Amino acid sequence: MTVALNFPRQHLKRMKIIQNRKGYDLKLQGAPSDDLVSLSAPATVAVLPERIPYIKPRLRVKVGDPVQVGSVLYEDKTDPRVGFVSPGGGKVVDIVFGPRRVIREIVIQLDSEETYAIFPILTADELEGISREDLVNRLLAGGVWPYLRELPYRKIADPDVEPPAIMVGLDGREPFQPNPESYLNDETRPLIQYGLNALKRLSDKVLVYTDPRFSNLCRTFKAELTHTIAGHYPADDPGVLLYHIRRRPDENRTWFIHGQDLLVLARFLSEGRYPTERLYVVAGSAAAERQHVRSRLGAPLQHLVLSAPTCPEPRYVVGGVLRGYTGEPNGHIGLYETSVVVLPEATEREFVTLFRPGFNKPTRSRTFASSIKGAPMIMDTNINGGRRACIACGYCSDVCPVDILPQMTLKSILAEEVEEYLAHGLLDCVECGLCSYVCPSKIELVETFCQTKFDYHKEQVS
Amino acid sequence: MNPVRRFFDGLHPHVSPGGKYEKLYAFYESIETVFFAPLERTRRLPAVRDSLDVKRYMFLVIVALIPHLCFGIYNAGYFARMASGLSLAPVPVVLTGLWLVMPMVIVTYVVGFFWEILFATIRKHEISEGLFVTCMLFPLTLPPATPLWQVALGISFGIVIGKEIFGGTGRNFLNPALTARAFLYFAYPVSLSGDNVWSVLVGGAERYVDGYTAATPLSVAAATPDGQTVEAALEALGYSPLELFFGFYPGSVGGTTTFLSILGAIFMIVLGIASWRTILGGVLGVLATAYFLNFIAGPESMPFLSLKPYYHLLIGGSAFALVYMTTDPVSGTHMKGVKWFYGFMCGLLTVLIRVFNPAFPEGVGLAILFMNCFNPLLDYIEIKIRTRRRVPNV
Ligand code: SF4
Ligand code: SF4
Repeated sequence: MTVALNFPRQHLKRMKIIQNRKGYDLKLQGAPSDDLVSLSAPATVAVLPERIPYIKPRLRVKVGDPVQVGSVLYEDKTDPRVGFVSPGGGKVVDIVFGPRRVIREIVIQLDSEETYAIFPILTADELEGISREDLVNRLLAGGVWPYLRELPYRKIADPDVEPPAIMVGLDGREPFQPNPESYLNDETRPLIQYGLNALKRLSDKVLVYTDPRFSNLCRTFKAELTHTIAGHYPADDPGVLLYHIRRRPDENRTWFIHGQDLLVLARFLSEGRYPTERLYVVAGSAAAERQHVRSRLGAPLQHLVLSAPTCPEPRYVVGGVLRGYTGEPNGHIGLYETSVVVLPEATEREFVTLFRPGFNKPTRSRTFASSIKGAPMIMDTNINGGRRACIACGYCSDVCPVDILPQMTLKSILAEEVEEYLAHGLLDCVECGLCSYVCPSKIELVETFCQTKFDYHKEQVS
Repeated sequence: MNPVRRFFDGLHPHVSPGGKYEKLYAFYESIETVFFAPLERTRRLPAVRDSLDVKRYMFLVIVALIPHLCFGIYNAGYFARMASGLSLAPVPVVLTGLWLVMPMVIVTYVVGFFWEILFATIRKHEISEGLFVTCMLFPLTLPPATPLWQVALGISFGIVIGKEIFGGTGRNFLNPALTARAFLYFAYPVSLSGDNVWSVLVGGAERYVDGYTAATPLSVAAATPDGQTVEAALEALGYSPLELFFGFYPGSVGGTTTFLSILGAIFMIVLGIASWRTILGGVLGVLATAYFLNFIAGPESMPFLSLKPYYHLLIGGSAFALVYMTTDPVSGTHMKGVKWFYGFMCGLLTVLIRVFNPAFPEGVGLAILFMNCFNPLLDYIEIKIRTRRRVPNV
């Protein structure tokens, strides 16, 4: 018997190195330090159905119900097997509705002694022999299935299909996300290996990638990594990697999961209960303390940021400044988000900005003096200009990591030329937000693309 | 409070919805944001946006054009006084120049804004800052002797027919400033071509002083008799290559100087607001075509054919137009690859029109407008090629 047969396949293959030439790294002030603070338990935790795209939530609890960690709070009407579980044990104290009755938050008040819903433990040996169906059912029942998502729509993976591949990204670098080296290390490596073995039961092909800048991580996970992808944001995105490596149309349906989420999945299977811990960063120029924090899934934003922001009117951007959404100050953090960036809201109209060199004006272009020094700068939430018609400057296609021509694609969307915008690669859009960021006409490109993808998907399934 | 702020705050209620002049809101917004950066918070992702907006983008093009305007004022004043036999001291020259050029600039802006506001109000679109650039470019392409009513008519045509009937900035495919210029050229051939429009008579003079020749280098080049070289004919009139390079000869207000055009090109390329592909393509187009003509020229053919290629970039408005007109992002090609082709063809046609069609001494404007018409097709071809390379989604 040869030794090589027992090695994971990746051992025999050389790791592929990919360079993402486009994209852009924001020059944004307020990066988090590597300090890690473990927070005490918050008073409440919550789940945010509103922030899970492509599902139709149906409540399974009402205010006042007692819940355990891991009991189902709501499910997806379109596939009730996909349940979303409670990240805390206690009592449902509030269900917050938004306009048109969308469910914003289901808030759980934590008991001092939380109880857990118990699931069967799956040892590494048992994992080797488990059937795909059995594994899928366990993941669904435990509420960890939603961490597996499917390209190109980035919706929760369909349990009934076998994907062409699963991509595991180790991990995000959008401004700002936790440093993956703080939770992906020798200590967690066995868990990651266990998790990867689980994924291999779901798909023949499991790809693991990271940025070569994380040199420690690359060393630790040398055996597991199949790809490194270097370059500007959003090189960490699974859609970008797929764009570089795909050969056939059916590969577009590849699944993906983030490194930290894979840890949750692996812990759930191996420990038999829903893990509630997560690593976040708190960052942004208006955050008083910029650091890594270890806290609970679904923790309140105020709990994470620790102290009051340093500006009178803060904005809490949950999940990174380019992809994240604006969180309510008294809200909680969602299932997928791992960062809270606090930015100053735009309040002032600067006098004669037009005639100033602009040493403190962040820009990707070279039209301000700031582009000479390139140091990180404070950004507020101003769109920084008047809305105008497209002037065909081409900046948006310069940054698009998947070579969409945003200005042209937008035109075909407005003209409702479905075939045309699909040919342009609309579905490949990784929703990185760079096109909207750079547009001098302040056109809401990415928003339109997300909406169009959503509408197109709706049409396809109905 | 800032007094300028107080002024605009005083106006604001009148132009807001319900106010007496609500129709003028687009105009108000356009001017107010010159002084105060707009304030609008992001409501959608991404939460932050680049500091660059269209206003700054276009404003920087104007910055590149200001030296041309200053030079044009001096140049127009200089040759007007020379033709009229007046003193050529710097101060009077500048004053004469201001008196000649500024009315054209002001009329262009007033009339241009009038149309833009009218359409912005009817169509409910914003005033695009492209207008500021168009209105700066147009007078620079005109002979200093252009009557003001023609200036007004020209810019009206350029804005309305060249831009607004297609839906305003961003949807037009012709360069509005060139459209305006071409319109005047065809509508009023007498007053806008020939040798006598380039130098104005001032100070009561009734005709050019003896010995003053108002011929532009282009007309000299086209009319050089056989057996003489164009270079020598130009030199005989005092147009040395250096003089041509700096633009000290009678011509359009701001378009004669290759030197400033190069500076402007460098400025805009460094700032990333003009496409170096287009400009370089244009220069290559001019040089390659002129070399080719040199190559085919026999002893019998027109002297213009044998003109040293670089002269084509020194005489007439070719350098100016290749730098400022071809690079208009809206009417140029939108795709990167075909920018080379677009620029090259503009250069090629410029030389061909100049040399073979003496009816149009300045070919560059027509060449660019002609190529503008093909740009949608060029873009279409490049997009098709690029989308074919994609792995399809469906
Ligand atoms: S089109 Fe999509 S992928 Fe391209 S820059 Fe815009 S958001 Fe990013
Ligand atoms: S960045 Fe904006 S203005 Fe420029 S081409 Fe793209 S959509 Fe048009």
